[in-house]
Parts: sequence; structure tokens; C-alpha cells
Amino acid sequence: MEVSRAAVKGTQAVPRVLFELRRRRSIVLLALGACLILVFVLGVALGPVNVPVSSSVKIILNRLPLIGRLVTGGWTHAQEAIIVSVRLPRVLLALLVGMGLALAGAVFQALFRNPMADPSIIGSSQGAALGATIAFFIGIQARWRGLSLVPLFAFAGAMLAVFVVYSIARRGGRVSVPSLLLVGIAMSSFLAAIVTTLMVISEDRMHSIFFWLMGGIGAASWMHVLTVVPFILIGAVVCILLGRDLNIMSLGEERAGQLGLGVEKFKWAMIATASLVVGAAVSVSGLIGFVGLITPHIVRQLTGPDHRYLIPGSLLGGGLFLVLADLLARTVISPSELPVGVVTAFFGAPFFIYLLKRRGKGID
Amino acid sequence: MMREESTLEARDVHAGYRQEDVIEGLSIKIAPGDFIGIVGPNGSGKTSFLRSLSRALKPRKGVVLLSGDDVYRTPARAVARVLAVVPQDPTMSFDFCALEIVLMGRNPHLGRLQAAGQRDLEIARLAMERSNVWHLADRTLSELSGGERQRVVIAQALTQSPKLLLLDEPTQHLDIQHQLALLELLSEMTEEGLSCVMVMHDINLAAQYCREIVMIKGGREFARGTPVDVITAANIMDIFRVDSIVTKHPVTGKPSITFLPGVQAHEDVGIRVHLICGGASGAPLMRELLERGFYVTAGVLNAGDSDAEVGEALEIRMVTEAPFSRISDRAHAANVELIRAADAVVVTEVQVGSGNLKNLEAALEALESGKKVVLLSPHTIDERDFTGGKATGLYGELISRGAVEVTEEEAVFSLIKSDLAGDENGRSDKARR
Repeated sequence: MEVSRAAVKGTQAVPRVLFELRRRRSIVLLALGACLILVFVLGVALGPVNVPVSSSVKIILNRLPLIGRLVTGGWTHAQEAIIVSVRLPRVLLALLVGMGLALAGAVFQALFRNPMADPSIIGSSQGAALGATIAFFIGIQARWRGLSLVPLFAFAGAMLAVFVVYSIARRGGRVSVPSLLLVGIAMSSFLAAIVTTLMVISEDRMHSIFFWLMGGIGAASWMHVLTVVPFILIGAVVCILLGRDLNIMSLGEERAGQLGLGVEKFKWAMIATASLVVGAAVSVSGLIGFVGLITPHIVRQLTGPDHRYLIPGSLLGGGLFLVLADLLARTVISPSELPVGVVTAFFGAPFFIYLLKRRGKGID
Repeated sequence: MMREESTLEARDVHAGYRQEDVIEGLSIKIAPGDFIGIVGPNGSGKTSFLRSLSRALKPRKGVVLLSGDDVYRTPARAVARVLAVVPQDPTMSFDFCALEIVLMGRNPHLGRLQAAGQRDLEIARLAMERSNVWHLADRTLSELSGGERQRVVIAQALTQSPKLLLLDEPTQHLDIQHQLALLELLSEMTEEGLSCVMVMHDINLAAQYCREIVMIKGGREFARGTPVDVITAANIMDIFRVDSIVTKHPVTGKPSITFLPGVQAHEDVGIRVHLICGGASGAPLMRELLERGFYVTAGVLNAGDSDAEVGEALEIRMVTEAPFSRISDRAHAANVELIRAADAVVVTEVQVGSGNLKNLEAALEALESGKKVVLLSPHTIDERDFTGGKATGLYGELISRGAVEVTEEEAVFSLIKSDLAGDENGRSDKARR
């Protein structure tokens, strides 16, 4: 269809190249989406009590609006209770947090023209963690229309950390890889020290803050899911819509300006968006590293660097990665479980080293 | 809306990096159809001037007006609709395909959420055909050669449908066939009303194609006019320190330059000076030495250091180390190589820590091998010694072995010149001021 219509217009050559690219990228996105659904269902079905996949699917479908009525019978109350109040919120939270971290990673990588940028490497996650810890510490229970204010504290912390790291690492309009990593690491350690101090001071809450920080989504509830949904959703929509601007930004600030992008305004809007997403993710799940580094990297190999595909691909890939990591976290040493941040680090740290090695061979 | 004429005008522009002004009072006026070539030696400020015209380097003094409006107060989008730039070394961090890169040129003409349409694709295709990269449309940048990449960026700029085009050495990665093709294309487009300003190293090509030549030296305008008026053996001697014969080309009637061997470029005084500096202590000296015709090298500097940045802008040969890192043995060895080739070593008022202490050892080595070593204000070393006295000790040793002490930069030039120009291997007497 598409091809024949273009041919009629007589400029078939141009669309053909783009058409090929788009088709290949759309297939990648569809495949990622399909994998995500598969992993999602497995995540819901598997656990200390295995629920048959067919029943799991039925229970989920039954909860959906419109088609819910058509799906009836075939599961027990106990199964329904496990899935609806334990597994589903947990898997959904893993999905959302994974999406958010990968989204922020993709955005930071474009802004800093730096494929090593990741919320946990450039200090943004630690900033968010400090913001959230302060919120816990001073006992913020306030809610606005049912939404917790903790993510906003985390947002402020993330924003501030990125701002400081960026200002220090930037030299002559460029943020070089080594200085970004060094400043990010220094900043992260500094912020982590403050978090630890606060943790020790607040003895009674120390245990819960500690487990939260380790990157756990074990205590996930529907409340957590509702808390992060709006932030991730807004971030995702904004970044997808501004995909073309991100492409131009990834050519470097000076070039982006020459191509008509209002660089300063755009940069800070994107840093704010990414910080909002990181803040939300960290406030419910603590520090989960490497998702934001690995996901956009692998997705970029598949979709190419066009952010109109890379951003949706990273959202799907990030969700996929973290749901899978969480599934491993709670099954490999069952009946106890690992914090999910530990699992992502098992995959992420070697991958990070691999990237550093490859860079060393002179691609950049 | 009627198509209005676009002009670009710079008035008395001063601009630079950090504290250093690289251009000092340049003016230019570009009208539709102009084809202006900017020529000058390395470090004369050509690229900086082009950057300040293109809204990328804000002048400290003076204005740049695009059709009467200050470009630095006009939104990037509005500027990019009429003014396109072809940068010198387009680096790409991510591997887009050529067509994607070229289509980005449509950005200033598209609404924020508007996708490129059939017409935009058509414009991109035409631009790619004109710069001869259409057959590479689906290749990714990493698959292209330097010259092909350069032509893709030219197509990207043309896709902006600009009225004015600024190019920074657009021919440098191209083979002769593509150099000529590009200049023919630009020439043709200026006849259609496009204005071009081009920084060129190749004076012969500039003379053939440009209708006006601006010669720059030391950040100031040296000469301006038609190629016939400006490109003369005397001017070339003055700004490049190269002997040449300029004849009238029998076919084109344009000046044609034949360079004569014997006088080395950039070495009118034939003296090579190595700077040991850092943290902005060496930047003014780099400029001054270059202007006085010395060949300047520097090292070891940390990349990103303000001296390293100025050196890069002035295209000085340097040895650099990664930011915040101490000098590695490899960098040190490279530095010693540079010093070996130099006639004199100047140590500025640089702060010395354990990271760069090796530079002083290199200076000591130079002294031992008979080079002239000049220390700027050595008496201030105790204020800038962060090595717990090691640096001060090395200074003492340098002085006792015959390094020359000087308190003013002015003294450096005359000192090096008089000693070395007169007496070839001359190790001089101590000159104190």
C-alpha cells in the first residue's frame, strides 16, 4: 500500500529508504512489545505459589474494563487474591520503574552526547535518593489527592544533583566522558554519605530505609503503582513527542543551535523531565542501577539512534528488563529474595565494563 | 509573504575564549550573492570569527546583525531558517544514516510536532544530489569516509534552504575532484542569490572561486578586496611568511600562486619555543609568540585546561593528558620529544602539584641537553608550589644550572630571539631584569 502510493507521487526513491528504516524499526518495537507481554504474564504467574499461566491471563483479563465480563471462571479465590493484590502491583511497578529509568537514561545520553550517561552514574539517582530520604526523615506523610509528596522531594534532589554535576563536568561547551563519570561518581559518593548519615540518625526507620535503598520493589502495593504512573506517563509522552529535537540535540549543542533548536531551554526542559521520572522511580524503588545504561544501548543497536523509535523502544525494553530482573530476584533463591538492584547490577556492571573496553578501542 | 533580502553584518567584533580575545575588531558585510573567502594562518581567528557570525560565539564587543537584527537576540529557529553553517569537523556521537542527518536540516522549517512531509523529502533529495551523496542515503555515518561525511553535512546545511551559508574549510576532507565540484556548486548557488562565506586554507582555490577575499592576521583584518587586489606575493609573505610567485592565470585571469621552498611556513624567525604552562598561565604567551613568528608547542597539559583550550583554538601542537590525571609516562615521553625539537623552553607561572611535577623535570632535562630555558617569575614559586617543596627545589636547580629568570613576558621574546638568532647553539649569559 504505502509503496504503491509513494510510487504514484513519483518520488519513490526518497520514501523507499525511509520506509525501509521505519518498517525495520516498527518490527523491533512490535517484537519488544510482544516479549514484554510474555514476560509480564510469566512475572504474574510465577512465584512461591505458581498459578497456571492460563488462569493468570484470565484473572488479568477479567480485571480489564469492557472485555472483563467476557472472561469468567477457571480460577480459585486464593489464586485471584495472590495475583491481584500481590503479583500484579509488583510486576506493574517493576514495569513502570524500568520504563522510567530507561527513559531517563536515553534522555541523558542524548543530552550529554554520551552513551555512558545513566541516572545512577551521573548522580541523578543518588540525588533523588537523598531527596526521598529527607522526605522520610522529616516524616512527610502529606498527600495531595492521594498522591504522595515523596516523589517531588526526590525530583528536587535529582534535578539539583544533575545540575551540579553538569556544571562541574562541562568544559568549553562539552561534557567529556571521563569528567562526567568522575564528577558523577564523586557526587554520588557524597550524596550517599549524607543518606547514610540520615539513616543512622533515624535508628527506628533505618531498616526500612536501607531495604528501600537497596532497590527493592518487594513491598509494592497498588498505592505505589498509582504514585508513579502519572510521572512516568508524562515523561514518556513528552519525550516521544520531542523525539526529533532529541535527535538534533544529540549532534551537540553548537550544531543543534545552528539547526534551529533553542538549546538552553530545551536542555533544561529535558533535564527536568528526566529528573521527574527518576525521582518518581527512586521514591518507590530505591536505587536500581544500570537499567538506564544498558537498555537504551541495546535498543539503539536495534532501532538506530532516532529518538522517535529509541524512546518507545527504551520504554518497552526497560520495562522488559526490570520485570525479568524482578522475576529472577524472587525466584533464584526462593523462598528468600534478592533486592532487584542486585540482579540488575549482576548484568549491568559487566556490561558497563564491556562498554568501557570497547570505547578504549577507539570508536569515539 | 514576499521573499526579503537577507544580509549579515558584523561590526567591530571582539570575541574569544576565557580571558583571551582571539578576534579583535573584525567587521564584514555580506549581501545576497556574495562569495567571500576568509584566509589567514593558523590561529589567526578565522574559525572563531565564523563561529561568532553563526550565533555560536558571543562577541564581547561589537554586534552581528542578520537583516538588521542582533543574531544573539533572535531565536535559534529564526536564524536557522536563513543562515546555515557547515562546521569544520562534524563529529557525530550516534550513528544516524545519511538521509536522517540531512533531513534534520528541515528542522527550523517544521513545527515542533510536525513530521517531515513530501516536500521536505524532496528538498533533502535535491540537496543530496547537488552535493553528490544521494547514492549514500541509507548508509550510516560510520560507514562513510571523512569526505563523504563532509558532503552529507553540506547537504544538511543546504536542506535548511538558507539565504546565507557559512563554511569552515569545507574542502579539507575532500579529494580534488570533490573540492572542485563543491566550489562549482557554491559558485553556481551564489549566482542564484545565496551568500557564501568560506574559511579556506587553500589560497589558490579561494582565489579561483571567491569574489572577495578577507585576509586575517592575529585576529585583525589585514587586507580585503578582490582576489587580484589582495592575493599578492607581498601579502602572502606578510601573513604566512612564505615566499611565492603570484601570476595571472592564463585561462581564468585570477591570481595563481606558486609557493617557493626555502622559507618554512610559520617560522619566520625560525625558532621553536616549547611552553610549560597550565591553568591560563600560558595563554597570553601562546598568542604573542605565534604573532611574533615563533613556532609554538606546549605540554603536558590536561585536556580541558584553559591553556589547552586556547592552544587548541590557536592550533598549537600540544601533548595532553586526560582531565584531572597526573602526567603518564607516555605523555611525558611525548613531551620530551617536543622539547627535543624546540630551541627554547619557557616555564610560565604555573601552579605545580604532584600531577605536573614531571614537566619541571622535563625542563631540567632540556637544560642539561643545552637548550635555553626561561623561567617566568621564578620568585613566585613558593606561592604555587603544591608539592611540599619539591617544585621549589627543582626551580633552584634549574636556576643554578643556568636557566634564565625573567619577570615580564615582554622580555621573553627579545631574549629568545636575540640569543638564538645570533648564536646558533648559544647558551646565553644570565639576563636578569
